[in-house]
Amino acid sequence: MSLLKPFSRLPGLNSANILLVEREEQFQQSLADVLVEETTFTVNVRLAKSLPLPMENEESRPRIDLVVFIINLTSELSLQSAEASLKSLDPGYFLGKVCFMVTNARSAAAPIERLDVARKLAASLYCPLLFAEDQTPDGVTNATERLLTILKVAAGLVPMATSLYLSNLTRSTVPPDIEQPSFN
Amino acid sequence: MADSTKRCLQRIMRLIPSYMLRTTLEKWGRFTVEQQKSIDFTRSKWALTEALLSICEENKFAMKHLTGLEMIYIMDNPNQGMWYVLQLLDPEDDAHSVELMQFKEQFKSHLKELVRHVSIKIKKHTDQAVWIRIAWGDAFSPPNHLKPTYVVHYLQTPSVFVTNLTSKQKPLLSQAMLLSTRHQAIKDANLSGRNLTAIRDLLMRKYQQVFPTKYPSPLAENNQTISNPLIEKEQAEPAANRLHMACKAFGGGALPQLQSAVYKLETKFRDHSNKTMTEREEPFRCVVKFASTNLLESLRHCASSGIASTPVTPLLSCIPLKGRNYFVITDNGPGPSSQTHQPQN
Repeated sequence: MSLLKPFSRLPGLNSANILLVEREEQFQQSLADVLVEETTFTVNVRLAKSLPLPMENEESRPRIDLVVFIINLTSELSLQSAEASLKSLDPGYFLGKVCFMVTNARSAAAPIERLDVARKLAASLYCPLLFAEDQTPDGVTNATERLLTILKVAAGLVPMATSLYLSNLTRSTVPPDIEQPSFN
Repeated sequence: MADSTKRCLQRIMRLIPSYMLRTTLEKWGRFTVEQQKSIDFTRSKWALTEALLSICEENKFAMKHLTGLEMIYIMDNPNQGMWYVLQLLDPEDDAHSVELMQFKEQFKSHLKELVRHVSIKIKKHTDQAVWIRIAWGDAFSPPNHLKPTYVVHYLQTPSVFVTNLTSKQKPLLSQAMLLSTRHQAIKDANLSGRNLTAIRDLLMRKYQQVFPTKYPSPLAENNQTISNPLIEKEQAEPAANRLHMACKAFGGGALPQLQSAVYKLETKFRDHSNKTMTEREEPFRCVVKFASTNLLESLRHCASSGIASTPVTPLLSCIPLKGRNYFVITDNGPGPSSQTHQPQN
């Protein structure tokens, strides 16, 4: 099975590559449009619906610095697709090069159990869990800024900081009372 | 003016929205220029109705003039109410040479033979459609102009579109249509919708068709400048394949607006985890209905985004292919030829 490996290629000069994985293929497009507007360094965005990635792009694909899984909490299939895609990722990515981004957390159509499952997933993999709002341009801009912060470190563009170091600060934790029913 | 004529005018005023009133009256053309100018279209509907009533009384209009007004409005705004499609079968030898005057005379005379009191108005629309307005009465009562049936037929095609037809009136209309169009049988085409233009476009394939091709995008180089070169899609080829297959099944571009598709299942229950239900001999009857503001658009999006598997299952792709949106599905071989379809699994 072809795993996506983090260090199989040489890095590019003053550039970073980010892979956005989303089953619905909607939020990733708006994020991509804002991400490429970054001026201090070149951001290459690659969009995918799920992993594993097709073999045909193997040679032309650059080194992926950050893999972001976008999960829509209103859809169970979205979460399942993200979990299934995790298996095609080399374990080396889980040292700070993977991030989970969750949308529609406040929506009434999203059951609370699903958010707990996403939280536990991110915590067990020591990855950050970001909440994003995808309907307004402001929400997209905010999400992009947070992704860029993590991306800069993951691509090695921030001196004295590595992604493993950053992941100690950003990784998601599960509150000890997650099994208790919460008040709404 | 007679009471029934007044009620007819009131009904017409209820049908026509205020903003369409001026243009419809101008098209009708039966008011003189001064009369048209004297109407203040910013008043309330009730006040407008009174004004029109007085002008109609002044001109001594009868029922037939008012029905003309109603027909003009409906012909320009046909996308209301529920339209059903009937299909003419077994044409006789001279069915292909039926022309308008002959059809009009034959239809009127045959229908008048069948129903003593009936009021028929036939008009030809700009796109060659023949519009028929029928107000039904019976042996003892005059025609009821408050519940007219509208029939649209394109000469020398097998489809007939009807709205507002009761089951008692259907055999009478069918008989008159058969005799005047020189066919031998008429049946239900299992297609219905709110939008007349949509079901007509669906049947006559007046939307963009996508044909199967070995090389779906011959000019790939031309599209490069549109999207940002920094953004790259990993799974572009499977996505393009899915889109092509979805468009092949449903069509490209804007699709006719169907509101629903109904599948009546008379198949046996199949679920290995539930023994009691699977052991039953009788079929498990259920009805599956898909509803949307634009059903074909939704189905095409399901196929192109991967929610529905591609190639598109024949159960869905036969909606545009056969031009139907009511299906009866049974397990065994084809039953009555007009109605059944083999399930895929």
